[in-house]
Amino acid sequence: MSSITESTNESSRGEPRQSHRSENWLDRRLPPANSVTLSLRTVFILPTREGMIFALMLFVMVIAAINYQNSLIFSITFLLGSLFVVSILHTYRNLSGLTLSAGSTRAAFAGEDAEFSVIVSRQGDRTFEAIHLGWKDSMLRIVDLVDDEESKVRLYVGTSKRGILTPGRMLVQTFYPVGLFRAWSHVDLDMSTIVYPRPLFAGSVPPALGSSKEGDLLRREGVDDFIGLRDYQDGDGLRHIAWKSYARTHELFTKQFAAYMDRRVWLEWDYFRGMDRENRLSRLCYWVVQLAKSSDAYGLRLPGLEIAPASGTEHREEVLKALALFELE
Amino acid sequence: MTEFQIPRNSLAWMLAAQVAVIAPHVPRLAPWIIVVCLGCGLWRIMVFLGRWSYPGRWTKVLFVLVGIIGVPIGYGRHFFQLEPAVALLIVAFVLKLLEMHHKRDAFIVIFLAYFVLTTEFLYSQTIPTSIYMGLVMAMITAALIGLNQTQGHLKPVHTFKLAGVLLGQSVPLMVVLFILFPRVGPLWTVPLQSQSARTGISDNMSPGDIASLTQSDELAFRVTFAGEVPPNSQLYWRGLVFSRYDGTSWSQARTGYGPTPVEWANNLNADWDSLIERRGKPVSYSVILEPTNQNWLFALPTPVPLTEGIGLVRDFRLYSLKPVQSRLRYEVVSFLDHRTERELSDYWRSRMTSLPQKGNPLSWRLATQLRGQSSSSEQFISRILLMFNVEEFTYTLKPPLLGEDEVDDFIMVTKRGFCEHFASSFVFMMRAAKIPARVVVGYQGGEFNPIGNYLAVHQFDAHAWAEVWIEGEGWRRVDPTSVVAPERIEDGLQAAVDDEQSFLEDSPLSWFKYSQTLWLTELRLQLSAIGHYWDAWIVGYNPTMQVRFLGQFMGEVNIKKIGITLFVTFGSVLLCIALLLLKKRKATPLDSVSREYLAFCGLMEKLGFGRQIGEGPIHYAERIGSHRPEMYKAVREVTDIYVDLNYSGRQDPQSDELKRAVRAFRLRLMAANV
Repeated sequence: MSSITESTNESSRGEPRQSHRSENWLDRRLPPANSVTLSLRTVFILPTREGMIFALMLFVMVIAAINYQNSLIFSITFLLGSLFVVSILHTYRNLSGLTLSAGSTRAAFAGEDAEFSVIVSRQGDRTFEAIHLGWKDSMLRIVDLVDDEESKVRLYVGTSKRGILTPGRMLVQTFYPVGLFRAWSHVDLDMSTIVYPRPLFAGSVPPALGSSKEGDLLRREGVDDFIGLRDYQDGDGLRHIAWKSYARTHELFTKQFAAYMDRRVWLEWDYFRGMDRENRLSRLCYWVVQLAKSSDAYGLRLPGLEIAPASGTEHREEVLKALALFELE
Repeated sequence: MTEFQIPRNSLAWMLAAQVAVIAPHVPRLAPWIIVVCLGCGLWRIMVFLGRWSYPGRWTKVLFVLVGIIGVPIGYGRHFFQLEPAVALLIVAFVLKLLEMHHKRDAFIVIFLAYFVLTTEFLYSQTIPTSIYMGLVMAMITAALIGLNQTQGHLKPVHTFKLAGVLLGQSVPLMVVLFILFPRVGPLWTVPLQSQSARTGISDNMSPGDIASLTQSDELAFRVTFAGEVPPNSQLYWRGLVFSRYDGTSWSQARTGYGPTPVEWANNLNADWDSLIERRGKPVSYSVILEPTNQNWLFALPTPVPLTEGIGLVRDFRLYSLKPVQSRLRYEVVSFLDHRTERELSDYWRSRMTSLPQKGNPLSWRLATQLRGQSSSSEQFISRILLMFNVEEFTYTLKPPLLGEDEVDDFIMVTKRGFCEHFASSFVFMMRAAKIPARVVVGYQGGEFNPIGNYLAVHQFDAHAWAEVWIEGEGWRRVDPTSVVAPERIEDGLQAAVDDEQSFLEDSPLSWFKYSQTLWLTELRLQLSAIGHYWDAWIVGYNPTMQVRFLGQFMGEVNIKKIGITLFVTFGSVLLCIALLLLKKRKATPLDSVSREYLAFCGLMEKLGFGRQIGEGPIHYAERIGSHRPEMYKAVREVTDIYVDLNYSGRQDPQSDELKRAVRAFRLRLMAANV
């Protein structure tokens, strides 16, 4: 069984704030890598608040056992105390040996959530249950690895500004099986993704510059504008036959239409004079998003950078990436 | 925030555990609390099914108020005892079921369940209770595990098994803690179980009391003797001494016995201790007494208490400082051969001969008359005993009711009675003849369990007899029952009342009814022996026992030694469990084909052709062949068989073709070397 559930973020509580020093120490102990298998050295474990309450309850039970001189209450208390200790091993075991690998990532616009896929896998017949995964301050996902050898978990990280997002160390934790202890590790899978500028409304897309200029490319056999007649050929549609000419000349002609295949739009840095860089980029980004919905070709001109007009998904990504990385601080 | 939804797995176990954990408490709970429990459980199920919602705030306040006010009202003056505390705990537990908005609330419910489970041991500490509680514990733990599993986990049996595994792994550590955790005495006094009526000897005796007590087959106490068990006729377990008679019932003398009424163990220095003349070889034994809620203990005369908190009182019986609320183990040395109170002061003489002036005129007259005919008090005693023996006196569990003048009625009219009738009328006659006498109640005899090597004394062994003071000798035990029904003393009650079939008449299913069936008796003795060891070693493991037990291994026991031993043992056991849990799984054992091929590779390696990492068998063979063309054919042959067996899957893997080929290769190699 591999089920993934969402949990509210319980992770931040009780999590020690990482100082710069401990970050360095962690880097040495658990250096960033695309695939990490957790081990004794890299898993930390501490009682949860419930574990503390449990320990307190055990204390009260021991007092009761002493005061009542009751051996069986002693036994129960000792059994629960041993369960407490043994659960450390089980909780630790539920994390140690787990392999986490970087999966695909998906870019996002600033303000949206970027998607990071993490592949959780196991070797051998040891199973893992209720593993919480996620980055700090974001929704944690819970995953089981019981029947499956591996499971792909999509994680989302909030973004605020354009550029390259490296979410850094991911939290992996588990409370399983008894919730009295929390085992956790911070794993850096060396993942990153691009965050495009936040699109800001910039009015309608600027007019295509080239449709009236010479040298514009026409594609034949469009439907938009009538451009002339040619000799009838077998197979031409009856609707397109120029009947008036036939009436005049008794020769068959076919009407020819053409579409403007390319309305080359240039997205210019200079459109937004007086604005600061981020605002310009956001508005350009908005246009890119709008233009990408049409088939129009668009190019980008930024100071020191020009991308020739084109269309398609790859072009869109190229342009957006240029916007994302432009003069990055 | 969305409402916390408790995993179904966990909820199912939680509700099951709720029922299981409260069930043993039911007989002690007020009916309305049971209604509250059922109601809350039902409500929780309805919440789960989505039919009802959680109770609103005011409903909850109402529930809590009902609990807080209801429990004290229901228990009234017993409020500061154990039952109301347990009842409050149970009410809190079931009400909390209806308030599980967060995961933490569910944890609290589970912790409360563990707590309620513990309280049951304040009432019962038997093996069946412990086994049952072990199961309930696994149920509660399953609920705890379910809480930490994903919502989609729907295998409750799997969860329960895991709980069992966790608890099973905890048991060795528990045993270490149980033995080595330093035991100390109570830190402060705690509310105890309210004085519920217990079967047992009470502090006054009216005709019929002991007869009704003998209807019970409950255990009274068990005795383990250090040496041989004395004969049955010597097993008079003295409990209480009655010296006041009001015409109907016998009771204890009301006033104390002077400045030091009790001599505490290891401090026998009261002024009256000199009244006891201890002779002969002492009998040493330990008693495990079932709870009586009373202070008096049972021992053979004349006892010397050896256990802390137990003393000897002026009428030479044992007394506990605190009422026996839970099973009590005490050590005693008894001098069966003894003289007590050779000199009797006038005060005591008058006390021990006092009788109500009214009533029983016929007995008075008979006693005076017989005393006149007797030359000594001993002769008088014999005459009275002879009267019981010769005349038509019958020992019966079903004596007829007696009129106002009880002794007259018994001696002259009914002549049918149980031990208390004989003891009571005997002492009456003695006192009427101005011979100091008193009634003693306790138990007589017992059943020896050869498996557990102890003597079990049951309620049906309850008995009453007399003590008569004789000039120059002191107190002498006289048991009138022994002349009427000697088999009672020799073989016990069952033999004595065999004719009338009245033994344990009200409990047809009692084990003891079937003593004729040998295997049943055997089984009963065996179970009883197991129970005895349980009570003695597990339930009875207290600070004294711990010191004695550990002393066998570590000499003088002190807290430092115990601490170090505990630390080391606990650590080693934990390490073993950790290794077991965390060890890497061994690679699956090689099949025979791979083993043979690896042997072949080993041969080649000796010749300087180690197989490289990631090198396939055929490439390996080719590489060898390129260096040693003369071997190529043979190497290729082995390799081909291996490849065929291992990868094609066509041939039977059990075939020993490869084995033969490798052996042939090896022989050829050896031949070449020679």
